[in-house]
Amino acid sequence: MSLDDDQVLIQKILAGKRASFEELMKKHNKRIFGYIYRMVRDEDVAIELTQDFFLKLYHVLDKYNFEYKFTTWAYRICYNMVIDHVRKNPAHIESLENDTIIPKLMDSENYVKEDTLDDLVKEEIREYTWSVVNRIPPKFRELILMRYLQELKYEEIADITQLPVGTVKNRLFKAKEMLKTELEKDGVLK
Amino acid sequence: MACLNETKIQDYIEGGLTAVERSLVRDHLIVCAKCNASYQRYEKLEKSLGEPVYITPPLIIERNVLRMLFPRIPSYSSIFALLAASFLLLVTSIYIYFDFANNSIVQAFQLTSHDTSNWLGSIIKAISTIFSTVYVIFKAINAFFEVIFKVNMGVEIIGLCMLLLLSWSFYLLSRLVFKKIKGSN
Repeated sequence: MSLDDDQVLIQKILAGKRASFEELMKKHNKRIFGYIYRMVRDEDVAIELTQDFFLKLYHVLDKYNFEYKFTTWAYRICYNMVIDHVRKNPAHIESLENDTIIPKLMDSENYVKEDTLDDLVKEEIREYTWSVVNRIPPKFRELILMRYLQELKYEEIADITQLPVGTVKNRLFKAKEMLKTELEKDGVLK
Repeated sequence: MACLNETKIQDYIEGGLTAVERSLVRDHLIVCAKCNASYQRYEKLEKSLGEPVYITPPLIIERNVLRMLFPRIPSYSSIFALLAASFLLLVTSIYIYFDFANNSIVQAFQLTSHDTSNWLGSIIKAISTIFSTVYVIFKAINAFFEVIFKVNMGVEIIGLCMLLLLSWSFYLLSRLVFKKIKGSN
């Protein structure tokens, strides 16, 4: 059985190499934190949940089955943690209108300064689109985040959320319909 | 062909239709401005979503996780420095505790040195001189506080505060020295 990069790292961690865990954490931190932050929309809570996620991941790593893709397994742990948090704190996750915090935290590395007006417009649309993602209801938002932020396939999302693939697909279509409507309403998509 | 619904357009963008369906949708998009506009918007949306705006995770996350999982064992230099500083604090605290004001230990040292010859006598004399000097300094500081702030703290309290400060500085200095020694090896 050939192992992917994540699995090689896990083998090293299980063999006692601490640096490999650091490497694994660095590799997935951005996507995990991005997902959690956009779901809970509170920086302190997101930091705490991300820390808890990595601590839990380390402690259950010996239960990982190498036959499955690591990201699907790990993201399911993350998904369940967020769900638990949401159940305990429903007020945190509801759609909010004020998303001013998001642009402040945008990753400067991902900003590409383009000279042409067309590219600037595209960039603005991209940023605005992602700020609107935070406003759609959580059950749709989580799927958008899994699909586009964590780059998961429909089948993997279905595996994580324990929903049928058809439901995942329909819900994602519905989510995009919502986003399109919101962007049209705000005059961003013309 | 009737106008396309939203799902059909999204399916078309994602490549989820059969070849025949794709060709029908493509033909319809050419002739129907309304569906074409909707298609263009979905295309833009798909493009924007396909390039996520990532949020930089604060560095504290990695640091905290690693600290919690693998707590740092104090280095040898820290342990040595702490031991040295503790020794200094202990010796001088004992000195303060045993009648510092009357300088009895200094006197005892001086008496002992009279009967002791050579290097041991010199060492004892040196120690008693250091203690006497320190005592004079503490007395001076106490007098200074009394004149400026009208507070008589007592030589013992001043001594203790100064010793804590001294021990801490000694600790930092020793750590630096031990680290340098370790580094040069």
